Amino acid sequence: MTHSPFRRRTSRWATALAAGVGLTVAITGCSTGETPAESEGYSAPDSDLTAEITYAFWDATQQDAIEANIAGFNEEYPNITVNLDVTPWEGYWTKVQTQATSDTLPDLFWLNGPNFQLYASNGKVEPITGAVDAGAIDPANYPESLVDLYNLDGTQYGVPKDFDTIGLWFNKEIFEQAGVETPTADWTWDDLKSASQTISDELSDEGIYGVAAGMDGQTTYYNTIFQAGGEVVSEDGTTSGYDSDADREGLSLWTDLIASGASPSMPQLTDTPADQWFTSGKVGMFYGGSWARAAIGDSEVKDVVDVAPLPAGKEQATVIHGVSNVVAANSDNKQAAQALQVYLASEEAQTEQGDLGAIIPAFTGTQAAFAESYPGVNLQVFLDATAYARPLPVSKNSAAWNAVEAELLPDVFSGATDVDTATTDLAAQMTALLAKE
Amino acid sequence: MTRLRPNAPEGARLSARALRAGAEAHARKRDGLWPWLFVIPLLAGIALFYLWPILQTFYYSFTEWGVFGGSTWTGVDNYIRLVSDPDLYSALGNTLLYTGIVLLGIPLAVWLASLLNTPGLRFASFYRVLFFLPYIAMPTAIAMVWRIIFNGDFGILNYLLSLVGIDGPYWVSTPGIAIVAVAVVGLWSSLGFSMIVLGAGLTNISPEYYEAAELDGASPWRQFTSITVPLLTPSIFFVTIITVISSFQLFDLLYAILGSQNPILPKSLSLVYLFYQAGFVTNEKGYAAAIAMVIFVLIGFVTFLQFRFQKKWVSVD
Amino acid sequence: MAFPFLWQIIMSLSTNAELQSVVPHFWPSEPQWQNYATVFERLPFLSQLRTSVLITIIRSGAQILLCTLAGYAFARMHFRGRAIALALVLSILMVPSQVYLISQYQIVQGFGWLNTLAGIVAPGLFSAFGTFLMRTAFLNLPTELEEAARLDGASPLRVFWSVMLPLARPSIAVLAITSALWSWNELLWPLVVSTYQEQMPLSAGLATLVSDKSNTDYPVIMAASMLAMAPILILFIILQRRVMDGLAFSGLK
Repeated sequence: MTHSPFRRRTSRWATALAAGVGLTVAITGCSTGETPAESEGYSAPDSDLTAEITYAFWDATQQDAIEANIAGFNEEYPNITVNLDVTPWEGYWTKVQTQATSDTLPDLFWLNGPNFQLYASNGKVEPITGAVDAGAIDPANYPESLVDLYNLDGTQYGVPKDFDTIGLWFNKEIFEQAGVETPTADWTWDDLKSASQTISDELSDEGIYGVAAGMDGQTTYYNTIFQAGGEVVSEDGTTSGYDSDADREGLSLWTDLIASGASPSMPQLTDTPADQWFTSGKVGMFYGGSWARAAIGDSEVKDVVDVAPLPAGKEQATVIHGVSNVVAANSDNKQAAQALQVYLASEEAQTEQGDLGAIIPAFTGTQAAFAESYPGVNLQVFLDATAYARPLPVSKNSAAWNAVEAELLPDVFSGATDVDTATTDLAAQMTALLAKE
Repeated sequence: MTRLRPNAPEGARLSARALRAGAEAHARKRDGLWPWLFVIPLLAGIALFYLWPILQTFYYSFTEWGVFGGSTWTGVDNYIRLVSDPDLYSALGNTLLYTGIVLLGIPLAVWLASLLNTPGLRFASFYRVLFFLPYIAMPTAIAMVWRIIFNGDFGILNYLLSLVGIDGPYWVSTPGIAIVAVAVVGLWSSLGFSMIVLGAGLTNISPEYYEAAELDGASPWRQFTSITVPLLTPSIFFVTIITVISSFQLFDLLYAILGSQNPILPKSLSLVYLFYQAGFVTNEKGYAAAIAMVIFVLIGFVTFLQFRFQKKWVSVD
Repeated sequence: MAFPFLWQIIMSLSTNAELQSVVPHFWPSEPQWQNYATVFERLPFLSQLRTSVLITIIRSGAQILLCTLAGYAFARMHFRGRAIALALVLSILMVPSQVYLISQYQIVQGFGWLNTLAGIVAPGLFSAFGTFLMRTAFLNLPTELEEAARLDGASPLRVFWSVMLPLARPSIAVLAITSALWSWNELLWPLVVSTYQEQMPLSAGLATLVSDKSNTDYPVIMAASMLAMAPILILFIILQRRVMDGLAFSGLK
């Protein structure tokens, strides 16, 4: 591997010290564990460890929070320089993939559910087994379904650093205008259908609709599929769940909403994204993630909105997803990178993230700041949702079957193809792709 | 060099060819090593950074390339799969449609360039800058603005159309129409580029020709068609070649205007988008390599045809 | 023609709320000039500007030098394999540009140029388009001057430098503009090769403002885009006035 002039090797002295010591006392104030470290195990490095590491991520809006975290990290490890590499979303995956192919991955970087298995199964990610065993990271502190997302074949590679769930944002003013009762936590699909229909009918001359959704898996149809009792990917990850009645039910809800005019049509939703319908005050309800809080809070409708749990189907469900910090398997500076990984997963760092950002930190108990960040809006809904949340469906090559979903499902929603034929086709293609993995 | 009559006897034609061959050999000798000195720096760089990757891609098109490296030989499987993939043909169709529309901009550019070149035109610089603006702007911003213009429910375009009683479609959300919308933007942004290249070519036309034509009493239009256009053909040829090549490479604009989440994207594929999807989204790099090779052959063929036909319409001094 | 730009200017002066609303506001209620200031807060604008300027000067300069030399050779000089060489050069334009990404990355990595200016700049020093452009330009020039110079005993280099190059100035201006523009706006390669934000060019910096799911600040993006466009615009105005305005076909006289 090439060493670029910008990287300096970890000082030999520090490495020898860290490796040579059998017993370690965690300096970062984690558990009082005195677990004997195996030679491959994690041991908190010495506080004067000198290194320069790169930390890559894609969301520039979180940069302030991350810089605050790094400042806290540097109080314990003043000689570790962390270089932040922000790459916009579209380019991030191209870049990381290129780097992985040449084994020049950043020391610490973000992975998300759909991409995680690809990198882990190809040996590009360092497990956190050592850190867990040493008590430096405790997976019980994070939402279980998310922790599972970053576990492959029994090995844990990271813990979530934040999470998001989906909720029903609604516009109180529109409800009042249409004379409809606002959503409650007990709402079912029937309530959704009747309310949205009424709104669309009453306010059609103003071009206002009842409900809008992004028509993608995470915010829209995965939720309703789960609520109907269906699955997207089977438990063992080998077959698709699409050709079941439950899945078809979950998908048909949207077809019906669009057909009845309760929701804008597919071309309308493509031209103008659902969140913009909502922030422009043109739709009464919006299936949105907790992250929509930022855009909504900055828009024209910010003072007249609130949020409720998703209307339930046969069961209640929502999709949960979160990003994880992972260490590159062949990083030159593993010690330092792992130290940062551990720090970022700590309660201290997580609380800071919550205070500064629009994201929900994953560490249980640190989410108060988020819940209170939008007075008048019940953001607690998103936190409570973790009780019944289901992780985003993924596999080793999620992108392959996501592409088939994107190809076949829009026509189902617009009514152009019949749900039974489309789902049978989708399931067949998806199962074939899963088999190839 | 002299051209013999087509009906010249066999022997005479042969010796003309021999003459040319002889002249060529003589010229080479005279030039000696100089040509190589001129060309080597460029060729070396191109060979290393561009030709070598193409060779690699050619090799990989016959393999199934793992996401992070490692390949297994699969022979022509990728090609067989590609040829029977309906996406290839719809992508080809879309790309050809796009190219056709953008090419329409060339005659327009020729005319505009010659207008701008009128001696004594006031504000000529201003107009040039105006037409060149689209070419300068950052693609991200351009795509955003055009998306807003094209918006079916709230966009300016449909608003204007409604004033004349036309119910505008959802430009970027209707399959078939979306490509046209993207092509309009492509044409708009390439106009400036064509104009400056043609403008440079126009400076090579001696004013003497125009003066003589004036004296003969030729109208401006006549001057345009008999002097400007014929003498501009080498530049027009260049612009056409480049436009076709870059239109076949349609990807960034399509992706930016339609949006990566757009459901009609699978129905509005371009050739390079097909490549990108296979290479970077579904991670089938061997298949992607095969697509790249097919694109290469397609563009190469079209370009070759253009060069062939060049002799018929491009004037050489 | 310019309408989208006027729109962009309007957008850059609006608030995000106004832009989120799909119903277009034709003029912001209060021009938000501070959006332009925000750009400087969000990005290390000046150092990215510096990078953009640096890589553009280097790449354009190299392209002008190498492409005029090669273009002249292809147009007016004779050597074995000329046709094949030209075909090879043109052929690189016929593959999707992403094809080169991973290969070039590995080559640059091999030289140890990852994360360096050399790495960002290296592949862009060579241009098939530029070569083709200059070849066309030289082909268009009359041969008489060349013949005359040759008869006078000038070496090919002399002929090139003193006689042909000055005549090709309009096309060189075109090459300068197009290569500068391309280099200025190029996004993917610098993004992948460099990991230090200060080192990235403006195009990459601008892209980081467009975030994934969180609140995209459209007005600031528009403002940043206008600021990023400014240097190239100025370059174009200077070049086109100097070289193209009133350039007389004076060579033969």
